[in-house]
Amino acid sequence: MSGIPRIKVNHHHTFYYQYEFSLLDALEVQEIPAQYNCRGGYCGVCKVRLIDGEVEEVQDILVDLADDEILTCSCRPKGHIEIELPE
Amino acid sequence: MSYSTFSASSHDATLEPMFFGRSVNVARYDRQKYPIFEKLIEKQLSFFWRPEEVDLSTDRKDFMALPEHEKHIFLSNLKYQTLLDSVQGRSPNIAFLPITSLPELETWFETWAFSETIHSRSYTHIIRNIVTEPSEVFDQIVTNPEIVRRAESVTRLYDELIELVNIHTVHGAGTHTIDGKTYDTSEYNLKTKLYLTLVSVNVLEAIRFYVSFACSFAFAERALMEGNAKIIRLIARDEALHLTGTQHMINLMSSGRDDADFKQIAEECKPQVVDLFREAAEQEKEWADYLFSQGSMIGLNARILGDYVEYITNVRMKAIGLEELFPVRTNPLPWMNSWLVSDNVQVAPQESEISSYLVGQIDADVDTEDFDDFDL
Repeated sequence: MSGIPRIKVNHHHTFYYQYEFSLLDALEVQEIPAQYNCRGGYCGVCKVRLIDGEVEEVQDILVDLADDEILTCSCRPKGHIEIELPE
Repeated sequence: MSYSTFSASSHDATLEPMFFGRSVNVARYDRQKYPIFEKLIEKQLSFFWRPEEVDLSTDRKDFMALPEHEKHIFLSNLKYQTLLDSVQGRSPNIAFLPITSLPELETWFETWAFSETIHSRSYTHIIRNIVTEPSEVFDQIVTNPEIVRRAESVTRLYDELIELVNIHTVHGAGTHTIDGKTYDTSEYNLKTKLYLTLVSVNVLEAIRFYVSFACSFAFAERALMEGNAKIIRLIARDEALHLTGTQHMINLMSSGRDDADFKQIAEECKPQVVDLFREAAEQEKEWADYLFSQGSMIGLNARILGDYVEYITNVRMKAIGLEELFPVRTNPLPWMNSWLVSDNVQVAPQESEISSYLVGQIDADVDTEDFDDFDL
């Protein structure tokens, strides 16, 4: 897998990552309504499900996450990814 | 299980469960069962702040100019916050320390409770600044029936757990009748009580506090009582951390990863847990009615606050793996987010933009090459 990471979001469009600080910032640039509170990796409100691909941490995560869950405020895509925002 | 302040046993704490194992011996953090609690401690320490750093002189003028019904909203909300932090400043220590078996968890409780005492001191700072006679406000916390009723449901499980653990310490496991009342101090019942207490703490921090934050921020959205909002924002940042800690404990327990008993307890207690959330949500809605009983304020009324109660209850229930209790809705107070973002919190000028300001940080990554252009 190479090139600019592509981000696929359920119920929304697929777009290319423009190297924002975090996945949350990337979603906001695309005007995809993503939930958040603290943006600091500890409130857990921005939790989404990572269906495919890999992400890397950009800040410490202090929230209890299941294996397939990520915090959008605290990671960025490593390659193409697919995520599922909660209803 | 008699509590020992320093157990001289040489057991390995990483093999103990979070609660009801052997008492902690050495407060060592080089080996940790759950490093997450150490991370929480570090984060909490990096958040350190003092209420006196926030200037409240404009708040006094703002408060004097508020109409009577808004004064009622502001003061009642502040009284409720004072009650909640009075409870939280002591209860985690008294209830959980005697039954904790991991050093990092023990220290998290102490760090957590300490930060709540800063919150309590903030309320005095605020009240002293906006009213001439602080006692008038403080005294009503234990006489106002609306607040007293809340205090009862906030503290009930804490008190029951403390009572049960005390009886267990003195009389051991079994069924004991004391003053005509029967107590089941079996390990299983103690664990059940602990689990429910943690849920009730989670409800307190994750729902009740947030409803009160919404009121504080609603004033500041109109550029009123901004010093107060600045303090509440720092409190909200701490509370987000505390509720994450409690969610961690609850999730670790209910998964059975820490202690297999808790998996069954979590399953059995589900109806009671849902009731705790429902009861809190109902009470908070009643509280909203009381707050706005003399009139609403611009941007917030009993109905919107009630909607927020339902929204936040759903979010918190989902976080510990429960079904949502209320119809799914979007956040009715979207402006809350800008007050809950941690990086915008500003304490002192040198700390702006960063949430974890490190004192005396040095660059230790220096290579001998760095000295190449030096001549003697």
